[in-house]
Amino acid sequence: MNLVGSFLINVAAFVALAIGGGVGTAWYMVESGSRFSTRTLGPWVTWTTAGRPEADPYTRAHTSRNALLPIASTLELTYVATTDSNGGRLHSACEYAIVMEDTEIAWWGLAAFDGRGGLIQNAAERYAFNSETVMREPDGHVVITLARDARAGNWLPIGGGSRVTLVMTVQDAAWAAASMVNGAPKPLPEIQRVACR
Amino acid sequence: MKLPTLRMPRWIRQIGWRTVAGAVLLAGIVHISATLAVPLLGPGNAFRKLRETLPVNQMVFLPPPTPGNQLLPFVAADALYAACRFDVSATGVTVSALLADPGWTLSLHTPQGDNFYVMPAQQLRRSEVTFVIVPGGDKLVDFGASARRPTGDETQVDSPVAEGLVLVRAPLRGLSWRAETEAKLRRASCAPVSQRR
Repeated sequence: MNLVGSFLINVAAFVALAIGGGVGTAWYMVESGSRFSTRTLGPWVTWTTAGRPEADPYTRAHTSRNALLPIASTLELTYVATTDSNGGRLHSACEYAIVMEDTEIAWWGLAAFDGRGGLIQNAAERYAFNSETVMREPDGHVVITLARDARAGNWLPIGGGSRVTLVMTVQDAAWAAASMVNGAPKPLPEIQRVACR
Repeated sequence: MKLPTLRMPRWIRQIGWRTVAGAVLLAGIVHISATLAVPLLGPGNAFRKLRETLPVNQMVFLPPPTPGNQLLPFVAADALYAACRFDVSATGVTVSALLADPGWTLSLHTPQGDNFYVMPAQQLRRSEVTFVIVPGGDKLVDFGASARRPTGDETQVDSPVAEGLVLVRAPLRGLSWRAETEAKLRRASCAPVSQRR
């Protein structure tokens, strides 16, 4: 009986470790990525070889699983943020200020989605800003406010009591090729939490 | 001084090192297999989601994304899109588009989402783009005998796959430009290379 019990415990441990560990680590690497396949700048994460034919298997699986059609990262980089700059989870119950310094990026766009990539319903029918539609401050910097209720300036409505995912697309071959800009890390927007309900 | 020893539950102590080593080895195999299988077996890549919507070798103006009516997740709603499912197994496919403003892109994707060609709108460059997609590499040998081969004065893009997607993205500069942007985007076309010329 003792032998049978030991055998069963070993079989259970083997299956749990092999299947659970294999699938679990694959799921993590495909969904969240690692330093091997992604680059993190503050709250922003980008898959460094997204869209490229020579992309690593994790990036290809991430692209496929999430039904993405990325432009090659040699031209366009897509940054995803699910937290604010202090690490707090982005949520529609809170208000955020996204502050972007004056940049010379050829074109950029910033869009808000729910946690599963769906557009967030709002009466203003506003879901994104880009470098052509955003209003700039006199010194050139940009402030976009993410809030449930209307705000002055660049207001991006969020609501529905869900998690929020921000996606920033930067289309600029020089930006994509450079690892630094003017000797500093690439200046991506800060996401400041203003208040929560 | 004697350190307190950590007492593990009895059932854990029954798990042999061979079981753990074997499980770790199998977990690695499961990890690699699962990662590689996602693009091939995963239910939801972008090509599969768009396949039913898109007739072969014909440009389709996609409905603007709205909440609850998105063809793909994480697609910005401040842009209009046109797409074509190309099939070059029998003949080349001529693609033409106007890349009017910054942010406009014309991209070619494999069914797995790889972006093997992209043309962005650029200042000081002709905004009208025309090229022929042809089967790449040695597949050219099998190019249908009855089909007309592209002439030397046409720009050719080698496709690594027989079937894929053409996507034209036209960011909106604001609501007042919507009609103008849509009119420019509707000039995009995708058609089999004409056999009579």
